Parts: sequence; C-alpha cells; structure tokens
Amino acid sequence: MFPDRQSRSFLDARVLARLAALPLLSRKPMQGNVSGRHPSPHRGSSVEFAEYRKYVPGDDLRRLDWRAYGRSDRFYVKEFEADTNLRCCFVVDTSGSMDFGSTGATKLDYARTIAGTLGYLAVQQGDAVGLSCVAGGLLRSIAPRRNPAHLTALFDVLEQTRPQGETGLAQVLHELAETIRQRALIVIISDLFVELEALRSSLDHLRFRKHDVAAFQLLDPQELGFNFRRPMRFLDMEGGPAIFAEPNEIAERYQRALGEHLAGVARLVLESAVDYHRVVIDEDPERVLTRFLVRRASARGGQ
Amino acid sequence: MNFLHPALLAALPLAALPIIIHLINQRRYQSLRWGAMMFLLAANRMSRGYARVRQWLILAMRVLAIAGLIFAISRPLASGWLGLATGGRPDTTIILLDRSPSMQQSDSKGGDSKLETGRRQLVQALDMLGSGRYVVIDGATRQPGELESPEALLKSSASEPASCATDMPALLQAAHDYMLANKSGRTEIWICSDLRENDWNADSGRWPALREAFQTFAPGVRFHLLAYPQTAPGNLAIRATAARRVATSDGAALAVSLKLLREGGGAGRVTVPLGLELDGVRSQTTVVMQGSEFELKDHRIPLDGRRARGWARVSIPADSNGADNDYYFVFDRPVERRTVIVSDQTDGVRALQLAAAASPDPTLTCRAEIVPPEQLAAVEWEKTALVLWQAALPVGDAARRVAAYVERGGQVVFFPPRVPDDASMFGGQWQAWAEEPAGFPITAWRGDQDLLAHTQSGAALPVGAVQVHRYCRMSGEATPLASLRGGAPLLARLATNRGGVYFCGTSVDPADSSLAHDGVVLYVMVQRALAAGAAALGNTRDLAAGDTPPESAAAWRRLAGPAIGLSTEFAVQRGVYAAGEQLLAVNRPLAEEQAPVLADRRVAELFRGLDYSRVNDQAGSLDTLIQEIWRLFLAAMIAALLVEAALCLPRSQARPAGRAA
Repeated sequence: MFPDRQSRSFLDARVLARLAALPLLSRKPMQGNVSGRHPSPHRGSSVEFAEYRKYVPGDDLRRLDWRAYGRSDRFYVKEFEADTNLRCCFVVDTSGSMDFGSTGATKLDYARTIAGTLGYLAVQQGDAVGLSCVAGGLLRSIAPRRNPAHLTALFDVLEQTRPQGETGLAQVLHELAETIRQRALIVIISDLFVELEALRSSLDHLRFRKHDVAAFQLLDPQELGFNFRRPMRFLDMEGGPAIFAEPNEIAERYQRALGEHLAGVARLVLESAVDYHRVVIDEDPERVLTRFLVRRASARGGQ
Repeated sequence: MNFLHPALLAALPLAALPIIIHLINQRRYQSLRWGAMMFLLAANRMSRGYARVRQWLILAMRVLAIAGLIFAISRPLASGWLGLATGGRPDTTIILLDRSPSMQQSDSKGGDSKLETGRRQLVQALDMLGSGRYVVIDGATRQPGELESPEALLKSSASEPASCATDMPALLQAAHDYMLANKSGRTEIWICSDLRENDWNADSGRWPALREAFQTFAPGVRFHLLAYPQTAPGNLAIRATAARRVATSDGAALAVSLKLLREGGGAGRVTVPLGLELDGVRSQTTVVMQGSEFELKDHRIPLDGRRARGWARVSIPADSNGADNDYYFVFDRPVERRTVIVSDQTDGVRALQLAAAASPDPTLTCRAEIVPPEQLAAVEWEKTALVLWQAALPVGDAARRVAAYVERGGQVVFFPPRVPDDASMFGGQWQAWAEEPAGFPITAWRGDQDLLAHTQSGAALPVGAVQVHRYCRMSGEATPLASLRGGAPLLARLATNRGGVYFCGTSVDPADSSLAHDGVVLYVMVQRALAAGAAALGNTRDLAAGDTPPESAAAWRRLAGPAIGLSTEFAVQRGVYAAGEQLLAVNRPLAEEQAPVLADRRVAELFRGLDYSRVNDQAGSLDTLIQEIWRLFLAAMIAALLVEAALCLPRSQARPAGRAA
C-alpha cells in the first residue's frame, strides 16, 4: 500500500482502505495539470454537458452540434465540463503548543495522522500533495506533486518534524498564499492559538487567491476542561514565562477566555468561508476524516 | 472580653490553621507544560476582584469558625466588668459590703434597693466565676465572715441594711488583715458601694498606706468595684435635732425640733405630712417645704404630766430611700448638771465655777463645786457631768478614779498646774510654761466640731480674740482643737474609748489668758463639755448608729424600730433600745445626710497602682452583671461555616468550551 513499503506510526492501513471509498473533493474549481476528479474553470472533454456556444471561426468543426444547426440553421459549438486534478497543500503547525497531549498522543501526532491520511487519499486520486511545517516561521516546505513516490518524502518530513518555538501561522499563511499557485486546496492543521485578527487577515488573503481552505483545529480535552484541583505551575511550551495559578480561582476566567476565542474562531471561519473542523484529539481520527470527506462530497453534490 | 477558662485561649493560634494549610497547599503545586498559555494570560488580565475577595472570604470564614469554637469553649463573659477573671479562679474572694442607709435608696419605680441589687448581682457573678473561699466583710461590723457559697450572702445578716455609715478604709484594712492572717492566696476583693464621700473618706491618710500594703501583697489582689453612684433627687430625709421635756401650765409637753432635707435642692413647694408616734399614739402634722431644707423648731406635743421619760418616732411617707424616712428620739427629765472643779486654789478657778454654774436654760439646774485634789474620794462621780481639773495631773488612786469616770462617759478638761510635773494622764503630759507679755495669738481652731464649733446660727466663736500670755506646753497623741502661732496646741482632745478628755494649755487666771475676761469662749466650751457629760450621765441617750461598740449592745432590748438585724447588731440598727435603766435612741449618723458622691476620678486615684476595675450599676437593675455568651460564639461559628459553604459553592457552573464547532 505504501510506496516505500515502510509502515508509518501515524497511518493505519485499514483506515486508509476504508476511507479510500470516499473522494476528497474540492469545493471550488481547481486548475490542475491533468485530468482529475475536480471541477476546472475551463471547458473540457468530459461527458458532462456544460453549455452551447456560438461558433466563431477557428473553433474545431468536430465540436459543432449539427443537430442544433438543423433545427435553427445556426452554428453552435457544444461544450463539456473539464475535470482536473488539484494541488493539496497541508499546513501543519509544529509550534511548541502542538506537543501537548493528555490522552497519550500529542496534537502533533494527531496532525500527522490527518495530514498523512488525507495526503495518501489525495495522491491515490491523482492529486498533487505538498506540505508546509510551520512554527515561528516556515520550517519545512515540500511543493505539491502527484506521483506516489512523493508521498515517501512527505511522510518522512511529517515523521521527522518536532514541535518547537512559537506559532507564526498567520505570517506563514500570507507567505503561502503568494507562493502556491492559484486555486489550491489548503488544509491547515493547528490548534489555532494565535491572534484572531492576524489569522483573519491571512485567511482572507488565501480566499482572495481563490484557494479552497480547510482548517482542523486540534484541541486537547484537558485544554477544554481545565479540571485541575491542586495549584499548578504552568510552563509555557512555546518558551514564554511560567504562570502560577490556583485552578479554583482561575478556571472560570480561563473558560471564559477560551470560549471567547473559540467563538471568535467560529465567527472568523464563517466569514472567511473556511471549511472548519474543531477536533478534540481523544476522538477517533477516522471519524473526523470521514465527517470531513463526507461533508465535502455532500457540498459538491449540492452545487 | 473576659473568660471563665482563659487558659483555653492558648489554642487560639489554631485559628491560623486554614491559612497555614492554604500556604502549604500553595507550596505543593505541580508543574505542567501547557500549550494554551494565551488563555491563562487572558484570564490573569481579566478582573479578578470577586474571585480574590471570595478566596480571602473563604479563608476568613474558616479562621472565624475555628476562633469562634475556641472562644465558645473558653466560656466568654459579657459584662461592663472589664478585666474580670482573666486570671482564672481566685483562691479567696472577699466581699466588702457598704450597708449604710444611703445604700437603701431604690430606683424611681420603688424596686430593689442598691444594697439588694448589689447583693443579687454579686451572688450571680460570683456563682458564675467561682472561688476557693468566700468571705464577706460588712461596713457595720467589719468582722470577716466566711460564706459556704455566694448564695449564702442573701441570707447572711452581714448583708442586711444597717443605719451606720461605712468606713471604707477600715473595711479595706480589715480585708488586708484577713488576707495576712489567713494566707488567702490569690485574692479578689469585690466592693459594693454607692461611693458616698463620708463612707470613703478619700482624704484620709490611710489610703496611701492601704495602697502600699495591697501592692506588696505577694500572691496578688484584684479589686472590683460595683458602684451605685446615682443620687435620688427629691428624696426627703427627716431628723430630730432636739427633743426635751418641758413643763407647761397643763402639765408637760415634748418640744421637738425637726429638720427636713431634700436631696438635690429643688425650688418647688412640697407638702409633707409628718407622722409623730409617742408612746404608741400617732399624730400627724403637715408642713409645707420649699427649698432644700426645712426646720421646725420646738414643735410641742402634749405629754402626760406624770410621764417623765419615754421615746418617740417621727416619720415621713415612703420615698426613694426608706432608711431616712424616720427618726427616733428619747426624752427624760433633765438631770442636774454637776461640775466638779479640782483645784488646790479657790480664787484662780472662780471663772470656771461661774461658767459651769450658769445654766443656759431655765429648766436646767447647773451646779459647780470646787474640790481640792486630796478630797477626791468624797466626790459623787456617778452624778458628775464634768470635771475641770486645774492641778497636777492625778496619779495613783486618783488617776484610777478619773479613768473610771471617763470610761463611764464623763468629760474632763485638764488645765495646767502652776508647776508641771512628770505625771501623765491618758498619754498627755504637761511640759513647761512659756511666757510672752505681748501674747500668743490663736491662729487656728476647729470650728466644724467639738468644743469650739460654730454656733447653731453658724457664727464662729470669738476664739481669735482670746489673749494668751502664758501657756503650758503639752505632749502626747492629741488632736488639736485650737493652736497658737507656731502650731503649739492650746486646746487638744485625747482619744478615749468613751467620754471626752481635753487639755487646755492655759488657765483662766487673768495673768495667763483673757479666757475669764472674754468669757464667751470659756462659757461655751464649758457648757458644751457639760452637756456632753450630762448626756452620758442621764438615763436617755441619742446615739449615732455604729458609734457604740457591738459588744456593749449585747444586753440591749429593742423597744421600737424596724425588725431587721440580729440582736448583736442593735448598735448599728436604728431604733429605740433599753439598756438597763437607760433609754437609747439609735439613728443614722449626721454625715449620712445628703453626702455627696465621690467623683470617678477621685475613686480611680484611690486605687492608683492597684489592679482595679469598676462597673456602674443602678438600683433595681434586672440585667445580670455577667452573662455567659458562648452560645453567641457558637452561633457565629455556625454562621461562618454556612457562609464558607455558600462561598465554596461554584458561583455558576463554568461550562467547558464546546467540543464540536
């Protein structure tokens, strides 16, 4: 199943097999190089009728609809939808905060699973897959390619990446918006512990570049529940100062701050047309991905 | 705040346990690498006023709960009695009880008197505080009496009302003597008094000595003063100032002079019905009083002509103090006032004879005889009212006769002999003559009492006008009544158990002084001594309660008076008593009339340097002096626990952020 016959800890072959039945579809037309499963902004040679267009000199005479000519005595060219592949670029947050995990696995482990699985599914359906690892800046970047051998490099980078430093997600997204060619699927996998205004700006930038943006916000159950009883000394995983807190005293305000942030994220993704998924990392990744794929397929069906 | 078990307060630091636990808990923190720091930082930036106050409130409530429990088991007392019982249970508790007539003043509603209220308060307080031994010393007898329990005070005769004044320094001295004699250990002295100046004698020189004595009492002594300083404005007091039997055309009558006193003055007119009881027959007369004092002079009550002696009682209606609403007096045919002038020269004492023989009242018979010292055996001592002795001081048998005479209540005035010798009498002794032709001026004399007191109209005797050219110095422990310039006593009184003994430093010889020439002073002096001697000699006597030793009253028989007190206390209870052939009228002392209340500052000065606390109560007060308030602290503890529980409840369940978008 794997190109290099090497098993990866963040991939489960059975899950991949089960998810292979579900297509990874884009919500917007994509500009691929080859034929694929995604809509293209151009007319092509698929079996799906698109429209009639008046004949202009230079058009291929083979595409003239003679029956229409017979009925109306005018020349019409019959056009069909074009199917193309897409460039899927995974943006994985590898900042220090992604190293947190109270369930046995860290958020970065979960991010590896999502990126690896979706990357595999994309390549399987002929799409090009790239990867960008983000911490304080853009740490590693692999350009999108569609050959299966490319997956090996991608998996290697995922496997080798280590959480460290601060989060510079917003700046990196601006950078990627400019460097990745238009009309790509950008999958952001992060805890989104960033300033919302900066994030809004970068997401708007991606939308402006006609990218289809999907975001997985990974959260640990302990981060959501904040169920501590004893006084705690919280050490910043991103190198900031430690905070001593009495949980009983601070829990209520922590929950308020977290709630406000999550509400802000929800509002932001709605305004920026981001395919947003909040994921608690004690949830089965297969269910999360299934939900993701199905929602996208449904959205496509509804278009 | 005072406690019955103050030792348990040592556990009070336990109240800090919640704080210590809190601090320990804070030190037992866990470290955790945390990703969502931005929310912690945001939470820290948020207003945390209530949360912080809530934490501190919870801690405070826990501290309060423990403190309340400790206070409750320490049995706190609520009272104005500051500093009470903080030393725990004393070994001995001595109660000094003021039983004077002013302590029988009750409140305006006619409830309990000050004495009854104080007694009840003391019983309740002492019952609660406890003590190894209870001793009561009352102001009338000054005899310490042990009590089995505080309740016994209510039944003790030592706490009954009395008619005598209280000598507070003497009471304290009695308490000190008892403490020394009985090794009382740690002692608390409770004083119940109304702080009248005549009872406390704040100017007495005994107070500094007492303070020093108590300060050096090693086991420690504490004073608690239960004071009833309220006066009773409008309270009326009656007193008979004179009563004598006079012969009239109808037979005889009793001429009574009465004085009504109103406390606090007052300008309003008051109609006072006076009740007179003579030989069991009651009569009434009404007088209208204005101002603070009213005097009725020689009010005549018809008397059976055959009745020579008897007793009577005058009374007014009940008011705030029942102890000064009646007065007893006795009367008799006036006795012959016989004076014996002992001198070996007849001419030099003629002036004395004239002064003693001239009667101030036509109904009185005065007689004076001159007796040489060697003929003393022929003198009828039992019929003699006054002895004027101008000779060498008696020695031997003569001295014994004079001493016996004084012991019976007789009066003696010693004048200096021509040649003083070394004989002494009653501790006094003549020294040597001093001469000054220009005269020794008399610079000071006691106008308030005794022989040289002012007249009834208030005018001073012309003592300063007396010229003294020669005087004989004297020695001995005497109280000067008149002094020459330089302080040498001219007239002095020596203390005896009964009777009066005076030493006059000059004679009536014109070469020595002008006593004979300016006869007023000599006459008044001699007549006053004669009257005092006659009073002791007669079959009737007016006594002030407390002036007679209790043992001499043992044989008395009560004829009239309130039925209070034991027979051993007749000397301090007002009434009429029969002592053999004599009729005795016992009344409250003159000093008890409208005695002012000692100022708080003066009282505090009296106890300066001593462990002293004071609380003011009032007659008829139903509030207990001391109350246990542990229930209050227990309730406070429960309230603190409830508040703590309420604060510990989550204010509103903090809802974790949603899991799904």
